[in-house]
Amino acid sequence: MNFNFTQDQLDFQDAISSMLRTEVTADSIRARWQNESGIDSAFMQQAHDLGLNSMLIPESLGGLGLTAVDFILLAEACGEVALPEPLVESVMVTTPSLVDILDQGLGNADVQKVIDGVLAGDVRVALGHTINPCINYADSADWFLLPDGDGVYLLPKEAVTLEAKTSVDPSRRLFSASFAASDAYLVADGEAGANLQRATLNRGALASAAQLVGLSRGMLQQSVSYTSDREQFGRAIGANQAVKHLVADVAVQVEYAKPVIYRAAYTVGVSPSRADFAVSHAKSAAGRAGLLASRHCMQVFGAMGYTWECDLQIWAKRAWALAREWGDEGFHTNRIHEWLLRKNALLGPEYTFGRGSLTDRAKAG
Amino acid sequence: MKLAFTAADEQFREEVADWLNDNLRDEFTDIRYRGGPGDEHRFVDERKAWERRLADGRWTCIGWPEAWGGRAASIEQQVIFHEEYARAGGPGRMGHIGDTLTGPTLLAFGSEHQKAKYLPPIRDGMAFWSQGYSEPGAGSDLAAIRTKAVQDEISGQWKITGQKVWTSLAHESDFVFVLARVDRDSSRHHGLGFFLVALDQPGVTIRPINQLTGTAEFNEVYFDDAVCDAEDIVGAPGDGWKVAMGLLGFERGVSTLGQQMLFQTELDEIIRIAKANGASRDPDIRQRIAEAHIGLKTMRYNSMRMLSGREDGSLSREAMIYKLYWSSWHRNLGKLAMDVLGPDAELIESGSYELNKLQSLFLFTRADTIYGGTNQIQRNLIAERALGMPKEPRGQGK
Repeated sequence: MNFNFTQDQLDFQDAISSMLRTEVTADSIRARWQNESGIDSAFMQQAHDLGLNSMLIPESLGGLGLTAVDFILLAEACGEVALPEPLVESVMVTTPSLVDILDQGLGNADVQKVIDGVLAGDVRVALGHTINPCINYADSADWFLLPDGDGVYLLPKEAVTLEAKTSVDPSRRLFSASFAASDAYLVADGEAGANLQRATLNRGALASAAQLVGLSRGMLQQSVSYTSDREQFGRAIGANQAVKHLVADVAVQVEYAKPVIYRAAYTVGVSPSRADFAVSHAKSAAGRAGLLASRHCMQVFGAMGYTWECDLQIWAKRAWALAREWGDEGFHTNRIHEWLLRKNALLGPEYTFGRGSLTDRAKAG
Repeated sequence: MKLAFTAADEQFREEVADWLNDNLRDEFTDIRYRGGPGDEHRFVDERKAWERRLADGRWTCIGWPEAWGGRAASIEQQVIFHEEYARAGGPGRMGHIGDTLTGPTLLAFGSEHQKAKYLPPIRDGMAFWSQGYSEPGAGSDLAAIRTKAVQDEISGQWKITGQKVWTSLAHESDFVFVLARVDRDSSRHHGLGFFLVALDQPGVTIRPINQLTGTAEFNEVYFDDAVCDAEDIVGAPGDGWKVAMGLLGFERGVSTLGQQMLFQTELDEIIRIAKANGASRDPDIRQRIAEAHIGLKTMRYNSMRMLSGREDGSLSREAMIYKLYWSSWHRNLGKLAMDVLGPDAELIESGSYELNKLQSLFLFTRADTIYGGTNQIQRNLIAERALGMPKEPRGQGK
C-alpha cells in the first residue's frame, strides 16, 4: 500500500496554490463583498482554463477522467485562501452527480447538454440537498440539480424560484430554492434517486471537510505570523507558552484531520459502501479542526481578531458556516455510531484500509 | 453559613421589584432586555433617559455613601438590586462606568473638588463616562502605555497626546478617564498619571471600530494636546498606576450576580428554542444543556461565596478564578446556542447585516475570553498571584 500522493498530484497542488495565493487575496475577497454577483469572473475563467471544471469528468465524456483523490489537495488549497466562489462544490459535488446520472443510464437529454456546457465553461450548475436549507451562489447558476422526496430534478434556472438570504459569512450568497416537481425535469427517482442523494451528501461533506482543513491552515499561518510580530511585555506574544500552545493545538487537529480526509476521498471512489463512515469521520474531524482553529486563532489575535478590519474573520466565519453545511458534527458522529453498531459491522484492523471490496460483497447489516 | 436573605433584605427586594415594575414600562418598554453586551450601541438616548428615571428613584449609585446621593447599600442589597434589575429586563446601564468605576475611584482617591464636580452628575444620570486604559501597544501589557501628559508650568494645565483603543461607548460619553505618562523618562508602571478628561473638546477625536458583528461599540480615541485642568488629575502625578489598579479592584464585584441573571435569561431562551425545534431530543444537546445549567449554578454559588464576608466589596482570592470561569462558560453557551439553532444559525433574517440575539451572543462571546484580561493572562494571574508560582520571564520592557 502507499498512502502518498504522486509527484504529479503534488506538483499540480503547488501550481494551483500559487495561482490562488496571487489571485485570491483578502482584499479581493472584500471587493467581492461589494460586487453584485460576488463572483470574480476573471478568476473563474482562469480556473476553467487550468482544466479544473473538467477534472472529474470521465475521458469518455470529454473530461480529464481524474478522481476525488486527484482533486482533494486542490479543494484544500481553495479553502486555504478562503475562496468565496463555489468552485470546489461545482467540481467535486455537482459535476460528479451529473456524471453519476449518465453512468447509471438515467436522466434525459439535458444531462449530457449540461455536462458539455460545464466542459466548455459556459454553464454553471447549482445543487441543492435536503440537509442544507440554502444554496450558495444560486443566483449565478444556469441550471439546478434539486431534490424532491426521492426524486432528483435537473431544471433550467427559469423553472426555479429563488429567495435571497443573508449569511453570517459575507462571502456566501445564500438562496433558498423552490420549484414545481414536473416529470419533464426528473432525472432520477425511487431507489436510484435516494442513492444519488446519499452519494451527493458524501461528496458535499467531503468537499467541505477538505476546505475546512485548508481554512484552518490559513488561520494557522496568520496566527503564527501575528504572534511572532505582536509584542507585549517586551517580547513577541508567541514567546509565551500559553499562546504557543493554543496555536500548537490547532496544528495537531489539522494534521490529524488530513489523513482522514484523504482516506475518505479514496473511499468515495473505490469503495462507495464504506463512504458514509469514512466521509462522516472526515467531516467531523475537519469540522472540529475548523472550529478549534477559528476559536484559538481569534483568541491569539486578541481584540484585533474581533474587528471587521482584521482579515481573520473571513476565514473564521467560513469555517463556522462549513462546519455546519452538509451535516454538523452531531449528524456525522451519529452516522458513525450507526455504522459501528450495525449487526456484523466489519471493525477489525484488517478493514482499516484494505478489504474494501470484501466489505462491499459482505454488505454487512 | 446562612443562605437565606434577612427579612429586611427581602423587603428591599420587593421595593426594587415594585419600583421597576412601575417604571420600566410605557416609554421604556422598548428598551427592556436591550443594550447588553453585543447590543450596547442600541437605544442610547432612551437608555440615557432611563438613567435619569433611575436617578429620580434613587436607584443609581446605590453603593455610594448617602452624602453623595447613594443608599450606602450593603453587598447583599446590591446583589438583590442587580438580580431584580436583570429579572425585570432592565436595559444595559449607560451609567455603569460612572457608577461602578469612576465613582468608587473618586471616593477612594479623589480630591474634595473632584468629588463635588464629578459625582453629582453621575448620580443624577447626567454625565456618562468611558475608560481610557488600553492602547494599540498596551493591551494585556497595560504598563506599556505611551500616551503622555505634559503640564504647563504657568497655568498648571495638562496637555494629553496619544491614542487609546477599545474604549466602549466613547462616542456616547461625556468624559473619559485616561492613564497617561507624566514623566517622559519613566517606564512601566512608574511615572503615570490618572486624568479626568472631557471628550467634547477640539483635542479629542473619536473613531468607532467596526466589529465582526457589523456593529461598533468600541472606539479609538485620539488625543492631540487635549486639555485637562490642573485639578483633574486623580492622586499625585506618578500615582496613576496605584489609582488605576484600585479602580480595577472595583470592577468585578457585585454586578456579577446580575450578569448571571442575564446568562440565565440566555440559557432559558436556548432551552425554549431547543424544545420548540426538536433539538432537545438530541442526546448530545441535552447533555450540553445540563452542563450549561450546572456551570451557571456553580458560578452563582462561587459568587455568593466570593461576596460574603467582604464588607468593603474588595476582591477575595476566589475572585481571580471568576473571569476565566464565566468567559469560558459563556463562550461555550454561544456555541451551544448555534448548535441548537442548527442550519438556521448561519442565516440572518433581515436583509442587512443585523444579527439576531443568539447569533450576536455567539459572536460576542468570542470577545469574552479576551477583554478585561484574556484567559491566558487570567491563568497566569491565578498561578502567579493566587498560587504563588514563579513568574513567567518577561522581555526587556521599554
